[in-house]
Amino acid sequence: MMNYPQMPLPSRSDSLWRYTSWKKIHPGKVDEIPKSDPINFSMGEKSQIDDSDEIARAFIHSISPVCKKLSIADETVEIRLESNGDLSSGELLVESKGNSTLTIRIMGDCKWTGLRILGEVTGKLSVALINEISPNSNLLLCEDWIVNRDSILELATLSIGGNLNKSDMRIELKSKGSDLRCGIASNGNAKRNDDHHIEIQHSVGYTTSSLVMHASCDGSSRSIGTGMLKICDGADGSDAGQVFRNLLLSEKARAEAIPGLEVLADDVKAAHGAASAPVDKEQIFYLTSRGLSPQESSSLIVEGFLMDAFRHVKNAHVLTDLRNGLLNHLDRLIAG
Amino acid sequence: MRVMSDESAREAVGDYRYGFHDPENATIRFDKGLSEQVVRDISELKNEPEWMTDIRVKAYRRFMEMPMPTWGNSEMLNQIDFEAVTYFLRSSDRTERDWEEVPEDIKNTFDRLGIPEAEQKWLGGVTAQYESEAVYHSIREDLEEQGVIFLDMDSGLKEYPEIVKEYFGTVIPASDNKFSALNTAVWSGGSFIYVPKGVHVEMPVQAYFRINAKNMGQFERTLIIADEGSSLQYVEGCTAPTYSTESLHSAVVELIAMKGAKIRYSTVQNWSANVYNLVTKRGVAYDDATIEWVDGNIGSKLTMKYPAVLLKGEGAHAEVISVAYAGKGQHQDAGAKVHHLAPNTTSNILSKSISKNGGRSTYRGILQVTPKSHGCRSKVICDALMLDPDSQSDTYPTMEVGNASADLEHEASVSKVSNDQLFYLMSRGHTEEEAMGMIVNGFFEPFTRELPMEYAVELNRLLELEMEGAIG
Repeated sequence: MMNYPQMPLPSRSDSLWRYTSWKKIHPGKVDEIPKSDPINFSMGEKSQIDDSDEIARAFIHSISPVCKKLSIADETVEIRLESNGDLSSGELLVESKGNSTLTIRIMGDCKWTGLRILGEVTGKLSVALINEISPNSNLLLCEDWIVNRDSILELATLSIGGNLNKSDMRIELKSKGSDLRCGIASNGNAKRNDDHHIEIQHSVGYTTSSLVMHASCDGSSRSIGTGMLKICDGADGSDAGQVFRNLLLSEKARAEAIPGLEVLADDVKAAHGAASAPVDKEQIFYLTSRGLSPQESSSLIVEGFLMDAFRHVKNAHVLTDLRNGLLNHLDRLIAG
Repeated sequence: MRVMSDESAREAVGDYRYGFHDPENATIRFDKGLSEQVVRDISELKNEPEWMTDIRVKAYRRFMEMPMPTWGNSEMLNQIDFEAVTYFLRSSDRTERDWEEVPEDIKNTFDRLGIPEAEQKWLGGVTAQYESEAVYHSIREDLEEQGVIFLDMDSGLKEYPEIVKEYFGTVIPASDNKFSALNTAVWSGGSFIYVPKGVHVEMPVQAYFRINAKNMGQFERTLIIADEGSSLQYVEGCTAPTYSTESLHSAVVELIAMKGAKIRYSTVQNWSANVYNLVTKRGVAYDDATIEWVDGNIGSKLTMKYPAVLLKGEGAHAEVISVAYAGKGQHQDAGAKVHHLAPNTTSNILSKSISKNGGRSTYRGILQVTPKSHGCRSKVICDALMLDPDSQSDTYPTMEVGNASADLEHEASVSKVSNDQLFYLMSRGHTEEEAMGMIVNGFFEPFTRELPMEYAVELNRLLELEMEGAIG
């Protein structure tokens, strides 16, 4: 396996690196391995994770001074990951069994944070991942999840923090009966650049997945959603869908979507969609006629739009955490 | 370039009905391989002005510098041996205007393809290109009287150098991609059309491209200019014989639709399965103009073609309807690109593909709205049908939205033929094969209904042939 500094730079013809290049998200010179402070994990045991062939994962692995393992079984857990200083990184290993709920909060005011998460689900796991890192921070987040036989992963991401974010999420539905319900809500304001890449692989048949990404963009923010839904050879009976929706709130906001699809089996259901539209003026008019200010009206529409990304998530605890996180964020924006 | 045995070539192309070839009777044939001297020789042979030679030489240098694309089917692309290609072959000393004057063997080929018959019945003009240059060209007298210019590109350059100089390479510069650079360096043949202000060409004009020789490279260059308020429908057909070695077709097509003009460019590409079809097609639409690409891809080994429209004027509209059929050993990598560069522009993209016998079909497209383009609307629909478990279907749509008022939609689905549909048709007395053929024809119907009737009938016949043996 090639180690990080020897790896060739990824091409921008690859949709993963098309909009936020490796040079842009890297904290310094791409051929150097900088010194990193550890992320402060609120819980977990010391552990080890293997290196990776993928450049971002290999980089985080090479600089991370800390790796924590979290084993959960039939419990509800909240873990806080706090990063401080100039450069901070860490790795998290999650093993879940039974029916569990996990809330991961990424916080702190570190200028650059790198985080790699590896998770394996047996049973049912509902995850709320809330990025509420400082608005001046850059975040590189890599996630790899494996969903085992007859298991369910509800993976809900609320992305409201940071200035430049690059998230690369890969989920493998490894055995029959595995089910993924993935929702991503991104709120862009000021000059925020929020880039999400999601790869879902149906390795075997009779697996299901749904991906919904909703992004609202205000100010001169930019949202990027690139998806790759792979249905492998022989994975007949797979049922997969992905939807990317963008709500543009200002003249200078931008949104990009590439909902990719690679299908190598014929007896499958695979569909994707993408849409982009402005806020409906009639909705604003209706709300302002009920006494809300235009800003409050817009905020309410954004809340409804973003929470709709989690329509397939059934876990009430996760939904409450996400809603509270989003409402606090929107209130802060209104308060200036 | 990879060489297959004759037996495996026949197996690869199956029942390709245009796989016959005639003896080569070239008046001039260049040695295989590409060099700056070859580029200069082509230009000299055609007696071109110096500015065109310069464009060619610069493009050749650019081609040599540019790497092969790393996206798409790199494995197939990297099998192309540019040194094994013949870059120029002249089959006839001049372009005839009377069908009877065309050399007998070439005439026989086009007779078998049905070109003269079609011209008499329903075409406003015809260009027939054999290898590198046009061998026959005609236009209806009434169109000529209205000032419509319809020539092969070589004659266009000779007779109207000022127009060609003004527009050549303005829509697709040589440096756009490796294959547009190659085409600009070695282009030969193609169509040159100018429709004057307010003239509506009611009957379609047609170009037919035929590769006959082995290891031939065909690099036609087409430039169509529709002046203000005019309209034109252009139809293009392509075939090649079946050989055990591979051929290269790398065309460049530039369309310019001035204010209020309308151009419809229809293609039924039916190359044999030993042809690399790497084509760059792009149009510019100014205020209230419309450009429509109606694009059918049935044959070839690898097709990479993404007809594009730059909507540069307010109220301009783009329409792209494409179908692709990927059979054994084929990869149809097709799609559409629409760039909304002006306010209140609209576009529709409809893409349909079928994969069968291990074939691979790919939709690859870009929909872009720039920050100053208010009030744009677009809808993209991609449907893919897979007829067996060995085939593959991919979709890579890109949506870039820079203006908050844009209203864009994209939807796509991949499915197999529904058992319910098959059952229904078979319960009405059709065999399974017939039922499958009917479903496939119905799937492509939004495309065929946009084609001139003769082409639509021909396409349905071709699909029926391709579908033979699809069951069991």
